[in-house]
Amino acid sequence: MAILVAIWAAASEIARTPLAPGPIDVGRALLSGVRDGTMVRALVTSAVRLSVGYVVALALGVPLGTGLARSRFVKQSLGPVVLGLSSVPSICWLPLAILWFGLSEWAIQLVVVLGAALPVAVATENAVKHVPPSIERAARTMGARGARLMLTVTLPAALPGILGGAKVGWTFALRSLMAGELLFVSGGLGQLLETGRDLGDTALVLAVVVVIVALGRASEVLLFARADRAIARRWGVEGA
Amino acid sequence: MFASAKDWLGGGLVASQSPAVIRPAGRPGSAIALEDVSLSVGAPGGQVEILRDASLRVAAGEFVCLLGPSGSGKSTILNLVAGLARPTSGRVLEGEKPVSGPGPDRAVVFQDAALFPWLTLRDNIEFPLKLQGLKPRARAERSEELLRLVHLWRFQDRYPHELSGGMRQRGAIARALATNPAVLLMDEPFAALDAQTREILQGEVERIWSATRKTVIFVTHNVREAVRLADRVVLMGTRPGRILHEETIDLPRPRAATDERVSVLASGIARRIASEVEKIVREEADDAWVAPGAHGGGDPRRHLGRGI
Repeated sequence: MAILVAIWAAASEIARTPLAPGPIDVGRALLSGVRDGTMVRALVTSAVRLSVGYVVALALGVPLGTGLARSRFVKQSLGPVVLGLSSVPSICWLPLAILWFGLSEWAIQLVVVLGAALPVAVATENAVKHVPPSIERAARTMGARGARLMLTVTLPAALPGILGGAKVGWTFALRSLMAGELLFVSGGLGQLLETGRDLGDTALVLAVVVVIVALGRASEVLLFARADRAIARRWGVEGA
Repeated sequence: MFASAKDWLGGGLVASQSPAVIRPAGRPGSAIALEDVSLSVGAPGGQVEILRDASLRVAAGEFVCLLGPSGSGKSTILNLVAGLARPTSGRVLEGEKPVSGPGPDRAVVFQDAALFPWLTLRDNIEFPLKLQGLKPRARAERSEELLRLVHLWRFQDRYPHELSGGMRQRGAIARALATNPAVLLMDEPFAALDAQTREILQGEVERIWSATRKTVIFVTHNVREAVRLADRVVLMGTRPGRILHEETIDLPRPRAATDERVSVLASGIARRIASEVEKIVREEADDAWVAPGAHGGGDPRRHLGRGI
């Protein structure tokens, strides 16, 4: 890491052009962004959007995936739609969302939710399908049925797979949000990127990228590392 | 004898204070009857007959082993009694009333134990009690009693993947007993275990059965296992699965794994089912050679006789 930064510094020193800022310039831009609050405000705006959209995406994706795995009706009616839509980059929905909701939070949330919910649904469908049948049969012989069977047995049994989908969903949510903010000016890190471009401030652009990387890594550590450990403890290494 | 076996299995288990005899509490066994039961599966036109005209009476508290080669429908009978499958024709009765679905009065021990991987051993055993709405205190008492019965008290906080195959099976037996079922259905529970663990667990099953007097239906394709455990061995044949005949095993209990009378009876029965086994081997070889891949999309596992 340190070596990479050193090479970067050396390279920008050799290039000597404002288009290739060195690590010190980027650090300076980062610092001034934190000082005048623009960076912090943008980060908070994006993080809040991301969390809200992601939670909604989970709340939609997990039931949808369960339905796809278990109900023939849902599978036949929604299955092709879900498959088709999940191949569309969710940013493609932004124009429609703006027509529907105007330049509002709703428009950008629609993009985030659509981006994240579909991979979550697809992963959940797979995970539920692959729950060992003997697990559910055992639960049924103990008298578990219906919603209770689903909530206390099937979904916990599918948890490793669902968690995998939740991780993919998180990165999709982040990507959709950045794309949305870039195109549609309304605060957030994406807009700050756009501002950097307008000003020709490459150091600012790179500083924002650094913040986005940090946001991704932080969420990985804070959200998923613990869940991964808990899964590994219960299922053993193979399940993780 | 069991004490030493237990030490070996539990990896240095200290002398447990397990009650020597558990309360023959609650529900005694109940009788099971199959009346002319047949089961076919598959789409119309491509029907496969899994079981034909099976009639069987199991007395309350009796230990019956279903013995037969792969594909003879022994697991199917178990699933029918458990309520996990429904007969195409005929009736399955528990006591006087027909079996209409799965229920905690008929517990099942599966070949792969089917403990829930996200719960500790103890929570696994308490799971059916929770379903029945028992208070935490009552659950804890019952699970302790059961964990001691199967000599797993020290391992209560382990997750299933941290236990050996034999320990998982004992855990599954404890979980099956938790709701105090009238009938215990065991579907080749020891098939995946090594020979020594298997013999030890057979002894444990006999001991638990003697103490609780549950009705037990035990599926196996191991002749010695059937003869050692059963009051009565029901021999089954293949294509379609059906009951061939029954053999009462009139040996004193507890029976040792090394008992010579078990061996003598077992080899007699083994000769009798040899022709059935030969038949299925021949047919499977034909399937593979004459028409490779021409099974019409049938589940290949069925040929290995895991029932439906």
